[in-house]
Amino acid sequence: MLVDQYNPFEGKMLQILDPDGNVIEEKLLPEIPEDELVRLFKIMLFTRVVDRKALMYQRQGRMLTYAPNEGQEACQIGSAYALEQRDWMAPAFRELGAWLTRGVDLKTLYLYWYGNEMGSKVSEDIRILPVSIPISSQLLHAVGLGYAAKVRGLDEVSIAYFGDGGTSEGDFHEAMNLAGVYKTPTIFLCQNNQWSISVPKHFQTASETFAQKAYAYGFKGIKVDGNDIFAMYAATKEAVDRARAGEGPTLIEAYTYRLGAHTTSDDPTRYRDDAEVEAWREKDPVKRFRIYLEKRGLWNQEMEKAFVAEKEEEVEKVFSDIEQNGGTVFDDIFMYQYAEMTPILREQYAEWKAFFQERGML
Amino acid sequence: MIREFKFPDIGEGVHEGILLKWHVKVGDRVKAGDPLAEVETDKVNAELPSPYSGKVSELLAAVGGTIHVGQVIIRIEDQSGKVSQEAASEPTVQVVEEENAGVVGALEASSEVIPSSAEGRKNSFTEKEIPQKVLATPVARKMAYDLGLDIRTIKGTGPGGRIMKEDIRRAGESNEKKPAAVAVQETPGTGILPSGSGKIERVPLSMMRKTIAKKMAQSKYTAPHATAMDEADVTELVQFRNKIKERFFADYGVSITFMPFIMKAVCLALKENEKLNSSYDEENQELLLKRFYHLGIAVDTEEGLMVPVIQDVDKKSIFELAKELEDLSGRARMKKLKIEELKGSTFSITNYGAVGSTFGVPVINYPEAAIIGIGKIEKKPVVREDKLVLRYMLPLSLSFDHRIVDGGDAGRFINTLKKYLSDPYKLTLL
Amino acid sequence: MPVFNNIQALNYALMQEMEKDPSIVVFGEDVGYEGGVFRATVDLQAKFGVERCFDTPISESGIVGMAVGMAINGLKPVVELQFCGFTYPAFNQIISHVSRMRNRSRGRYTLPMVIRFPFGGGIRALEHHSESPEALFAHIPGLKVVAPSTPYDTKGLLLAALRDPDPVIFMEPKRIYRAFKQEVPEDDYVIEIGKANIVKEGEDLTIVTWGAMVRDTLKAVEKANEKGIHPEVIDLRTIAPMDRETIIKSVKKTGRILIVQEAVKSFSVASEIIALVNEKAFLHLEAPPARVTAPDIIVPLPRGEQFYMPHPDMIYEKINEVVNFLT
Repeated sequence: MLVDQYNPFEGKMLQILDPDGNVIEEKLLPEIPEDELVRLFKIMLFTRVVDRKALMYQRQGRMLTYAPNEGQEACQIGSAYALEQRDWMAPAFRELGAWLTRGVDLKTLYLYWYGNEMGSKVSEDIRILPVSIPISSQLLHAVGLGYAAKVRGLDEVSIAYFGDGGTSEGDFHEAMNLAGVYKTPTIFLCQNNQWSISVPKHFQTASETFAQKAYAYGFKGIKVDGNDIFAMYAATKEAVDRARAGEGPTLIEAYTYRLGAHTTSDDPTRYRDDAEVEAWREKDPVKRFRIYLEKRGLWNQEMEKAFVAEKEEEVEKVFSDIEQNGGTVFDDIFMYQYAEMTPILREQYAEWKAFFQERGML
Repeated sequence: MIREFKFPDIGEGVHEGILLKWHVKVGDRVKAGDPLAEVETDKVNAELPSPYSGKVSELLAAVGGTIHVGQVIIRIEDQSGKVSQEAASEPTVQVVEEENAGVVGALEASSEVIPSSAEGRKNSFTEKEIPQKVLATPVARKMAYDLGLDIRTIKGTGPGGRIMKEDIRRAGESNEKKPAAVAVQETPGTGILPSGSGKIERVPLSMMRKTIAKKMAQSKYTAPHATAMDEADVTELVQFRNKIKERFFADYGVSITFMPFIMKAVCLALKENEKLNSSYDEENQELLLKRFYHLGIAVDTEEGLMVPVIQDVDKKSIFELAKELEDLSGRARMKKLKIEELKGSTFSITNYGAVGSTFGVPVINYPEAAIIGIGKIEKKPVVREDKLVLRYMLPLSLSFDHRIVDGGDAGRFINTLKKYLSDPYKLTLL
Repeated sequence: MPVFNNIQALNYALMQEMEKDPSIVVFGEDVGYEGGVFRATVDLQAKFGVERCFDTPISESGIVGMAVGMAINGLKPVVELQFCGFTYPAFNQIISHVSRMRNRSRGRYTLPMVIRFPFGGGIRALEHHSESPEALFAHIPGLKVVAPSTPYDTKGLLLAALRDPDPVIFMEPKRIYRAFKQEVPEDDYVIEIGKANIVKEGEDLTIVTWGAMVRDTLKAVEKANEKGIHPEVIDLRTIAPMDRETIIKSVKKTGRILIVQEAVKSFSVASEIIALVNEKAFLHLEAPPARVTAPDIIVPLPRGEQFYMPHPDMIYEKINEVVNFLT
């Protein structure tokens, strides 16, 4: 098992595809059909297009605060690809690749960053919880989702996404502890992107790795090259399979890097060296996956050019549609506080509505 | 510990007062019973004695300001350091009848069964008609209160029948105008101020004046007054009093007026005419005959009429009555009466003879059944055995509550009274 | 008809509803094997198994956070937080998620769940065991907050909470957990959340109270009755959404309002009720709205607790004060 082979206490990190696109662990390479490989790469490219466009819209004053994703595509897409449709995902807020892999439509995603709750209403067949801003609080939800699946005898696992800084929160410990105690089918996916806004890893923990923390709660953890889509898929797939088999939770530390800012309001040049960023650019997950596919003859420059152009146009269309129709419907802000509006809400709804109606704002 | 002294409800209907004076200042040491402050309430200037011994740590009311019953007006630091009696008593937890489960603390456990829920069974009050209440803003209510108006009697002209400030102002004006209208005729223009009549000074009423106004109006509007008048021949009483007056003063330092004799006579007359010493219980439609004789004596003071009460007149000698009367009227004029000394009279006497009047129509000290007015004693020619002679005559005016006392009762009472007033020996011996 | 105290009524209601609804799971600290430190969940584990009634680590945020996930995935969690003072570690979950999930996901995810805990003082407990934090919860949009005061209401409200599509904060006045008993029907019945109960009708004054203070208030009212004063007593039962209609109707009838609460005075439920009365019955008021509350202090340890708890005489005195205002 990978979790045993790559024991974090032995300083090991799972890597299958190196930064230059070479497969260094042939026997660990997951068996993925060629068309699926291309599909995964397209998702990766699409993720990057969507991300860069969002950043651009924000700088144009068309989009509100946005959390750039660049650099973390492989750990998100590789892990999400290991899940089944029926499995549950509890995200933090920088999981663009996972969302797109699991089929969330772009309009919904953009609506969220555009500032409309409708962006959290994923369709019924997609099991992703809304963005959870309070750090690590969603880990407990994943444990609860897993516990319910277990009690109800459902073949479902849950995965929680969070960052390196998230491991410092109490809820991280409570969630890990509870998952350990109840052996819930839960995968804790820590995207260690090296920085919690401006605070580096050594101010978050004195542990050598984040992965090793799992052992304190009575289950296993593994450190994985988060920019290697194959390693991420393999490790997650193994954790998912073990969870389905009743072997309980796993902590995966995806060792990666946020190439951009924390959010559009952040300026990372204030706290980190350009040299560090450049070094990580060399380990870019898209680059190495592209080289691998090109080597296998599954991808080339023309394909990429055409694909990106097509997607840019698509994104542009979706976003201009949102700009046209993405405003919040007044009724919605009252409608979903409770299943049924309480008497006082009904009264306030009428009062506020009349106010805005009188001014022609509705 | 710090003790708080709250302005107590020192008597019937006392809800607030005006702080006239502090007898202590912060840092002073006081003993329990020492005077702390002087307060003006409806009827008295009351002295508030300290319930605690200790050091004054805080004065919480300003001289001249209104204080309300229950309001903390002073804090006194008790030097004992002990926790007060009340504070030391902890909530007792009842004997545990069942397992007292709970890792922390002690739960009260009992098998007491409370009434079953009436949920869904009782008539919900929401189905009942809500009685019509007065609609008014607080400021309007306060205004009505200050003007002594019952807001329920005022017609509202505001939205939904709301009583507006203007409504109250109007009601207040028409109240004031009533007596004036008779004398002066309708003057053109509105309000209590005759138009173009020159400068007018507005004088706020004292608390006492307000109370008198309220009480008088209450009496007049509640009890239908009728008044009977007569004169008593007090010649022998005058002679009797003249004989003993100086000796009494020399021996006891007490000046004997006619009032103690009149009180005694009234008391004897009340015993023979019990309806005059009663009250009407309207709610139960019953007459309350009182078997005790506490007489209210109206005293004219600078600020207005006060009615201190002399208790158990039937059990006191003329001399005792004289002494008590002197003390009470003296203190009434200095506003030094205690609230208890103004309460509980069964019949009242008002002496306007002291200011030279002969007859009057006194207003009953409600809820008493009657009041007697005493005029000025004068030598008058009267017919005795077909001869015109000069006698000392005392004019009497008896106002009575005609709901419970008739003219016949009143006449008989006056006759009895006259009988005693004309015979000082009976008065002093009985 | 069985006669139960409040804690027995709780247990009875849970027992009955777990029988009916297999999605209900009950958990918390000491809740499973021991049946809860106050015995609210006694025998549930024996009857329904360890998966439906279980002990948790000491992990309040964890308990509530897990419940969020469980509710989303088809269970109906009933969590017990051992004492009111231990709800605070779970506040992030309660405020950030429990109250918001329906709105945040625009109805895609809902959280039918009940968070139970004992509240209030007067049992001479340690620090953090005696608070009355109802206003903290009632202030949060998306939550419902109930606080029953009798065994009958306890069962009826708990069943209502268990069937509510939204999260319900179920506050149990622990001082009267075992203080008296009442007939509790075996039948299925619910007390609608958001409906107050007029426990005593009257004309002179409206008193609104809830939880353990209902009993204290009724005692003071009895004393007032002897003096010819007849207050109307409303047991709020649900703090949020508040039964404004019942309060306002009563105040329009009596012209006066007094709120009796064990919680501290400022920024409290009492404050909200006074605001409501001023908004809706201003012209009917014959006296300033009044409150009997704890002072704005941290609940003292047991040797000082009697200074914190509203003294029964305070209620009686305040009744007189309000009734006699401007008369």
